[in-house]
Amino acid sequence: MFNLFSLSWRNIWRHRGRSLLSAGAVGFAVFFTLVYLSFLGSMENGMYNNLTQSVGHLQVRVADYREKHEFPDLLIPKAEEVKAGLERAQTGAQMVVALEVPALVAGENRSRGILLIGDERPPGLREKFARQYLAGGQLPASGDLESIALGASLAKALKVRLGDPVYVYAPGTEGRGAAAYRLVGLLKFPDSGLEARSAFTSLAAAQELAAPGSATRIELHFPFTRYSQDAGLATLQSQLAARLGKNLTLETWRQANPAIAQILQLLTPLVLIFAGIFFGLAGLLVVNTIYLSLLERTREFGVIVALGAGPAKVTRMVLLESLLLCGAGAIIGGVLGLLLVASLSGGFSLGALYGQTSLSVFGLPETIYLSLRPADILITLVFALATGLLAAWWPARVAARLEPVEAMRFAA
Amino acid sequence: MNPVLSVKNLTKTYKVDSVETPALGGVNLEVRRGEFTALAGPSGSGKSTLLHLMGGLDKPSSGEVWLEGSRIDGLSKAQLADLRLWNIGFVFQAYNLIPVLTALENAAFVLELRGEAPSLRESKASKALETLGMLEYAARRPNQLSGGQQQRVAVARALAAQPKIILADEPTANLDSKTGLALIEHMRRLNHEQGVTFLFSTHDPRLLERVDRIVRLEDGQIVA
Repeated sequence: MFNLFSLSWRNIWRHRGRSLLSAGAVGFAVFFTLVYLSFLGSMENGMYNNLTQSVGHLQVRVADYREKHEFPDLLIPKAEEVKAGLERAQTGAQMVVALEVPALVAGENRSRGILLIGDERPPGLREKFARQYLAGGQLPASGDLESIALGASLAKALKVRLGDPVYVYAPGTEGRGAAAYRLVGLLKFPDSGLEARSAFTSLAAAQELAAPGSATRIELHFPFTRYSQDAGLATLQSQLAARLGKNLTLETWRQANPAIAQILQLLTPLVLIFAGIFFGLAGLLVVNTIYLSLLERTREFGVIVALGAGPAKVTRMVLLESLLLCGAGAIIGGVLGLLLVASLSGGFSLGALYGQTSLSVFGLPETIYLSLRPADILITLVFALATGLLAAWWPARVAARLEPVEAMRFAA
Repeated sequence: MNPVLSVKNLTKTYKVDSVETPALGGVNLEVRRGEFTALAGPSGSGKSTLLHLMGGLDKPSSGEVWLEGSRIDGLSKAQLADLRLWNIGFVFQAYNLIPVLTALENAAFVLELRGEAPSLRESKASKALETLGMLEYAARRPNQLSGGQQQRVAVARALAAQPKIILADEPTANLDSKTGLALIEHMRRLNHEQGVTFLFSTHDPRLLERVDRIVRLEDGQIVA
């Protein structure tokens, strides 16, 4: 025996072509939204990982460091003690201690002004760094006072090769002020400017050169791999900041990189705006289908009202038809979208489309691994259901206001 | 015995572009339980208007409509719909079956609106179709039935809901005379055997020979 659900289903298919077009439009919107959400979600995670790998999730700096321009003013004295104090908080963070020294670097015949970065990384982060940026040779080992790695373009400008001596001058500092190293590694960065003006040594080598025992930043890396996990960072920030003196500040990666943080924040609203536009267009088709169906069936609705269906029931009948129409499209679009996301969850390279370098400049990952959060699917379903309800709202109100006698006389 | 349905001083005036057209002028009528009554009169005499007002499908300009002792002309749209659902059966001139439903499902439609259980709906609708000799066509859709068969399904739809009264507006107007007479015979049998109260409009004089009571309307007034 039928019910209003099956009646609505049969009514939808009275005009197959029109209904298929509308359901197809909703299906496309669902498909597009799921794929787009998964794509941007993956981009978001990729950017987040790239960024936090290079600057850490939290970063200790000297207070008001942006207003300070003299090298000594930027130093965190007794960096190891500060690091030990943060380690006692047992947050599970891995720490990178870095000293950035403005310096002059020279080969046999040429010299350049650079930023020398001496850092001490835990093995896992060091391997990642090497995997991403090392183009030849190796990174200076921890505690190595004699090795240096240069940006590949910097090495080219200095006309030095692996194994050649490299001289660094950092006058006016508390360290030796000058040192000779052997070039052991070449680094390639997506940012050509960074590649042309950066050199890397061990932390010990940089401290010996310019500021014994000091650092300019301490990065804290947490095991967060998804952008959505970042929500707990503010709590950690306030917990750890209390352990630092007044002269130091603790910034999140957002505060350290406000421009990229803003781009990341814009991605989700952007996809929702696009989804809204697509669902809006699909909704217009649904309105057209439901309203034409209502118009053609005015007499029939008149009879239904005459037989005793009240305004609420008629409204429900029209809304149900629209929801079924959108639901059918959403199921098909959803299944197709999920299949595509599943098939690309193993990763695919964007480099082939845009070139690896141009992607990396914006912090984008080369390989995208599509995945969806339950919230993404929920948002898409809410969009589809809202389309169904909003599209049918006006036709439903028209139907609910029908006067049975007039409606039964109506000729479409 | 109290009337099932009654009207007092009922008037209805249609107004189109400030032109007023009186359709009913001060009609008084009582229909008692078990009656088989015909509203007779020429086209435009107000038969359909009177049926619509008595069935709560339209509101009068003035006057009163009473259903089993309760005044219904002042009820809201939703209240009137509910009243029709539970108390009044309708048969229309143009059959007006739902095209996507089978004969059985059409017969059960009002019961579905009432929210009755599927098994109960099916048994009541089947019984109504059987009474009208339409059970063998239960699985057919309206477009697979003749006009007479469709109208019998429409009567079965009204009958299955066991209303207090069935109002039929020119139920035979779209049927040939033989089929029309057969339909009236079915209605007459239901009235005799099950005590179903019928009030129907017609302008076919041959059908009037088969009714208990004839109410004649002319120019919106009862003349006999």
